[in-house]
Formats: sequence, C-alpha cells, structure tokens
Amino acid sequence: MSQDIQNYLKKTSLFKSLSDDMLNALAQNTTTRKLAPGDVLMRKGEIADSLFIINEGWVKIVTEDKKGDELIINKCGPGEIIGEMALLDSGPRSATVIAIENSEALELKQEAFQDLLDKNPNVSLSIIRSYSNRLRFSTKYIERAIDWSQKIAEGDYSFIDQTQQISKNAETDDDKATQLLSAFFTMVRRVKEREDGLKQQLEQLTFEIDQSRRKQEFEEITSTEFYAKLKEQAKNLRDKRAQQ
Amino acid sequence: MNKGKIVSIHSFRGGTGKSNTTANLAAQAALAGKRVGVVDTDIQSPGIHVLFGLDETKMGKTINDFLHGKATIREIGFPIGENTGGAEGRAKLAGKNLWLFPSSIRGREISQIIKEGVDFNRLNEGLQTTISEFDLDYLFIDTHPGLNEETLLSIATSDILLIILRPDNQDLQGTSVTIDIARSLDVPNLMLMVNKALPKYDFAQIKTDIEEKFHASVAGVLPLTFDLADNASNDLFSLRYPDHEWSKALRGVAEAILAVK
Repeated sequence: MSQDIQNYLKKTSLFKSLSDDMLNALAQNTTTRKLAPGDVLMRKGEIADSLFIINEGWVKIVTEDKKGDELIINKCGPGEIIGEMALLDSGPRSATVIAIENSEALELKQEAFQDLLDKNPNVSLSIIRSYSNRLRFSTKYIERAIDWSQKIAEGDYSFIDQTQQISKNAETDDDKATQLLSAFFTMVRRVKEREDGLKQQLEQLTFEIDQSRRKQEFEEITSTEFYAKLKEQAKNLRDKRAQQ
Repeated sequence: MNKGKIVSIHSFRGGTGKSNTTANLAAQAALAGKRVGVVDTDIQSPGIHVLFGLDETKMGKTINDFLHGKATIREIGFPIGENTGGAEGRAKLAGKNLWLFPSSIRGREISQIIKEGVDFNRLNEGLQTTISEFDLDYLFIDTHPGLNEETLLSIATSDILLIILRPDNQDLQGTSVTIDIARSLDVPNLMLMVNKALPKYDFAQIKTDIEEKFHASVAGVLPLTFDLADNASNDLFSLRYPDHEWSKALRGVAEAILAVK
C-alpha cells in the first residue's frame, strides 16, 4: 500500500525530484480519504492544517457568488495538489472542494509538509517556480485586460474574436486567470449585445397618428354650441389684447 | 394693462407628470425672479398643493368663492415664499414671489358653475384680476386631462399652452386633437414637452419627429426616472436635485416659456 502511494507520489510534479527515502517517509505520513460524490473535502474559511493530493477521481473547487449560487473555479483530477496555498501563508481555506465522483485523496498534514520543505530545497523551489509561472501568466492577462477595457470604453469590440483563441491556449496555464478571462469576455459580449439591441429599438420608435380619428374627435368637440360661443369670445379677447 | 401671461399646462391623458411639471416650472420661474401664480384646479386628489407642502386644512377659500363673490382674490392667494416648510428643495423658494390659488371642482360646485353660467368672460376676468392684484408675470394653470368644457375655457384664455405628452402613439393621438383645438382658438403660443421618455431612446430624434408631425416646438424631452417617482409628491424635484437630467431638461422648458415675448 505504502509502496503504491510512494510510486504515485513520484509521478506528481511537486514530488518527482524526491529521493526514494524521502518519498517513502512522505508516503508514511499520508492518510487516504475516500470521497463519495458531493462529499466536502475542505470548506472555504476553515483553518487549514493539511494539503491533499488527488489520487483518484475528480473534485470541483467552488466558491459562492453574491447571490449565494455555487461558482465553479476549477476542477482537479489525479496527480493534482490542492490546499497547499493555505499551508504556505497560514491563511484560511480560500475555496470549498467537493467530490464530483467517487474519489480518493491523500492527506498530508502540515507538520509533515513543513518537515519536507525544511529538508528538501528542491520541493520549495518547484513550488516557487509554479507560483512564478502563475504570476507571470496573470500579469500578462491583467495587462491585456487593461488594454481591452480601454478599447471597450472607445466602443471598439473588434478584439473579441482574438480572445477565444487565447483562452483556449491558456488551458495549461493558471485556470483562474482563464476563468477571469472567460467571464470578462462573456461580459463584453453581453454589453455589445445590449448595445446592439438598444440601437435596434431606437430605430423602432416611430409615431403614427390616425388622421381620420383626429378629424372626427376635433369635429365632435367643435360642433357644440358651447364651442361656437367660446371661439367667438376667445377671438374677441385676442383682438382686445392685441389692441392694448 | 395685460402684463402677466396665462400659461396653461395640459395633457390629453392622465399620468404624464403634469402637476409635477407645473409645480416645478412655476418654481423655476419664481427662482428666476418672476412673480408667479399657480392655479391648482383639483384639491381633491393629491396634486400641486402637496408639492408645495400644503394640505387641505391650510387652504381656506378657493377661486370658486372668488368667482361667486364670496371672497376677494387677496384672501385666496397662498404665499409659498413665506411658507416653504421643511423640504430641502422648497426651501430655495424662501422670499420668492410665488402664490398658490386653490380652486375647488367638487361635483356639486361644477354643476353650480354651469348652472350659474360661469362662462369664459367671468373666468377670464377672474384670472386677469388675479394677475393684476398680485402683479404677476405668469399665472400657471394646471388643467384637467382631456378636453372638457372647463379645460377648453382655460385653453381659450391662455397666452401660452404647454402640452405634456409621453412618447407613445396614444398620447400623440390625443395631443393632435388638443393642438387642433388650440389653433382653432387662436392660442398665440403653443409648445410641447415630452415627459417620461425611456433613456434608451434617442431624445433628439423624438424631438425632431414630433416637431415635424405637429409643426409645433418641443421645448424639452424629459427622461423617465425612478428618482422622480421615489421623491413622490414630497418636494420640488428640480430644486432639490438641480443636477439631475430631468431637472436640467425642465429648466430648458422653463426658459422657453420665459423667452416668449
């Protein structure tokens, strides 16, 4: 069993540089967690004291939007490590993780993780490297988002076509940035649609007057004795005012 | 001397924001230093007097009492500038020359008017006396929707008729008849104001289209705004929120009225 775990850990990007001894020690410190669909592996806001390596199956990383609806940030499968961020910065869990299907995760407690980092600079380095990549990727997209925002302000939506390609290429990079990008473009598309829709409605605003009804109603009012008298009196008044 | 002008504000259908507009136009004219009177034609429904912070108990005698010789016009005019109350917008009218003239049109009194023959000449005389007694520059009349006899009298005596309409076909249809009537009665100055236009429409286009249809000037196109609905009838919106789009456009209409020679 421990040997299986050891072999498995050796395939993950974070631990592949470890010696067999180290891997063995690490494997000894992990416990296996079995998850049924819908089981919560960790909850946003909780104090973190371990990280997880997905062994089998898929989990979703979710948060809530303002309305309280579930918002899927990412999905993780075999070989991926989750929850390490909270161990590094001592913050609470930044998202909730829920099993999508029958899954298995290896739990590594904080002390064991800390011990591993102390003894293996390579592991620390590879963590730093992966964060550098994410940061570089995010910065690139922030720059683009600024550029695009300026274009939107000018009413130029021509960049939308290029973006789909970019987000497709981004699959191997930081998925959160991809997520942000996709939300950004959905927003721009909706804004554009609404704008187009409004332009259309402007064209639709036309006025029609039924001239025969107009004439008929005018005659109904003006054909009375009251009106004939009023018209005469009004004329006298206007004439009188004009003389003054 | 015919110094003061009679400005009738009319709309063919209800719900155009007529009373609100009348009160705000009168307030803007007073703010511009003019001596202004407002004839409130309906104290039964929450109308103009509420916007000026009055309730029925504060109002004693009405124009009707004056027309029947039961009161002098001096007794009827309620000085708003001396009774602005607590509202922020209205407070700007302190010391201004603005009077409210309530008139009662309860069913019984209407039939009395008709029976006793309060005709055009008597109404006109009453309005002219109001103007001369208070030395008014403008007397605004908030008329009733539709074209009943009382409204026709009011239109006939007007120097300026402002018709308020919403940008929809029903209002345009009714407005077309009112315009024909106003021309038949030789009203010297006719202008339109479009109110409650949805912001998604092109206001410039609305103005051009309606001016072409009626060969009459559109003095302003004012947006439909929930801010105005929120304010309800508690204060004079254009004084309280002078920077709001509605208030800016309303001032344009007030300027058009004041520009009439």
